[in-house]
Amino acid sequence: MSRLREIRPLRALVGALLALYLIVSVYPFLWMLGGGFKSQQDVLGTASPLPSEPTLDGVRAVWEQLDFVTLLLNSTLITVAAIVLILIVFPLAAYAFAVLDFPFRNALFLLFVGALLVPAVTVLLPIVILDRELGLIDTKWGVILPVVNGAGPLAILILRGYFASIPGELRDAARMEGYGELAVFARVYFPLARPALITVAVLNCVSVWNEYVLPSVTLNERDSFTLPLGLQNLLSQNVVHWNEVLAAATIIVVPIIVLYAVLQRYVNAGLTGAVKG
Amino acid sequence: MGSAEVDASAEAGARRPQGRRALARPRRRRAARRYGLKQSLTAYGFLAPAVVLFAIFGVYTVAYGFMLSFNRWNGLSPEWTWVGLQNFKDLFSADPVLAPRVRGAVGKTAIVMVALPVLVVGISLPIAVMLNSIARLRATLRTLYFLPYVTAGVGVYYAWRFMYEPAGAVNSLLRSVGLDSLAQADGFLGSTSTALPATIAVLVWMTVPLGILLFLTGLQTIDESLFEAARVEGASQWTIVRRVVWPLLAPITALLIVICLREALQNFQLFLLMTNGGPVDSTNVLGLQVYRLAFDRGNNNLGLASALGWTLFALALALSLLNLRIMRDRTRS
Repeated sequence: MSRLREIRPLRALVGALLALYLIVSVYPFLWMLGGGFKSQQDVLGTASPLPSEPTLDGVRAVWEQLDFVTLLLNSTLITVAAIVLILIVFPLAAYAFAVLDFPFRNALFLLFVGALLVPAVTVLLPIVILDRELGLIDTKWGVILPVVNGAGPLAILILRGYFASIPGELRDAARMEGYGELAVFARVYFPLARPALITVAVLNCVSVWNEYVLPSVTLNERDSFTLPLGLQNLLSQNVVHWNEVLAAATIIVVPIIVLYAVLQRYVNAGLTGAVKG
Repeated sequence: MGSAEVDASAEAGARRPQGRRALARPRRRRAARRYGLKQSLTAYGFLAPAVVLFAIFGVYTVAYGFMLSFNRWNGLSPEWTWVGLQNFKDLFSADPVLAPRVRGAVGKTAIVMVALPVLVVGISLPIAVMLNSIARLRATLRTLYFLPYVTAGVGVYYAWRFMYEPAGAVNSLLRSVGLDSLAQADGFLGSTSTALPATIAVLVWMTVPLGILLFLTGLQTIDESLFEAARVEGASQWTIVRRVVWPLLAPITALLIVICLREALQNFQLFLLMTNGGPVDSTNVLGLQVYRLAFDRGNNNLGLASALGWTLFALALALSLLNLRIMRDRTRS
């Protein structure tokens, strides 16, 4: 591979191709950022995302039309609650699978991980019917509980791998000190698994924050809408104001980019860990 | 483990009353069994929240969908009507309106399932190799290239919808570089000939970053000294690629293909939000067809939605078993 470095024209070509793909990668994001500050006419008929006369009209219109505070609050509450539950329920289960010995361990593990293969759309209708029977339609729990369950297989897979890599001597030593099993988990294993926990948290943060389908079929009241549902509303106008759509899209995407920028090494490690595992 | 085991079993033995059957056994084995019982109970305690949740929202819903797929139900009446395999027959052959649509959806899904892995591997591998060959800016570029993957979702889909508009950024870009002939007067999502390629392009755009990350990680595990050794031995560039690089990248490629196939089979949200299957069903993939049968007003038999949903599940299962088999054969040889 180092050969490539030695050949001048080839180096220039590599640079050009990488730059070209960089433009392809970020062009839509530049449009979100720039287009949100354009006027309604200015946004169409040009290839440049840079606003010639920056205006806050789009952002203001979005704010006024959409009751943004409610949307933001609903999205944040659902995301935070789901992540907290995911980080309680699945580390416990993963600890049992990784460290403890019990009947049907492998069968139960296979059942959990096998759920990865069930397409979301296959269980979507039964989940909505179940939500209705449990009285969870139009409640945050009606979104949170299925979403947490959906996060289970991957979370257990990642965390079990991490727990299994922690030397068993640590647990033995803690047990000698008189720690119960729950204390070993809470004081030894949980803190040590921080990187894996962050991976799980970030991956799910993004998917819950972006979740459109489940809220769209279980939430009917405007008061309970999340950000993605609010964005959908902007597109049901007779004439779509694209500067407003882009501004709203920016508001959804920016928190994800910030989160990724801060925690990217955990995300990358978590994703490539799946390759090695 | 040894010492803790003894310790824990002594503790368990002291606390619990001795059962009659246990008395008949030798002391050591009884102790081991006791320890096992206590640890089993602890383990089930740890698993309880996940199992309860999974039983309700996982097992129950999957079983419910399975049962419903053999019944006719309008979603309102208290009773289901057992129809056996009729739903499946209606979906694929019997129903004169529905069956052609479903068969069309199978075709579209097949196109996505071929195009996505081919394009993702074909684009991400060369980029990873190039990225691996430069020293400067590698980390920065890797982060920026990764954005489409982490942000994939409703915001990004709408940005693309804008770009594909008749007066949107893609047409404007084509016109500004003199490629007017490629511009689409109705927008890329507005004509039956371009809508599917345009949506596939977005799927590729958001999946390529994962390919780059996986390939780059693989390439970085290849030791430079391996190349030196091969070169000293007089191996040609082609031999090095075939004998040194490819064996390391093959399993990554296999994994990436599986991820792409899963995405092609399961991601219907992109199609729902970008085209809702149109124009004229040209982007109506299987997952979206399941969604429409379940939630569009026009359908008065929810059994059809479940039957097609389960067909999709069976496909995913078959694919994974096939993949498992291929992986096993490879490790054996």
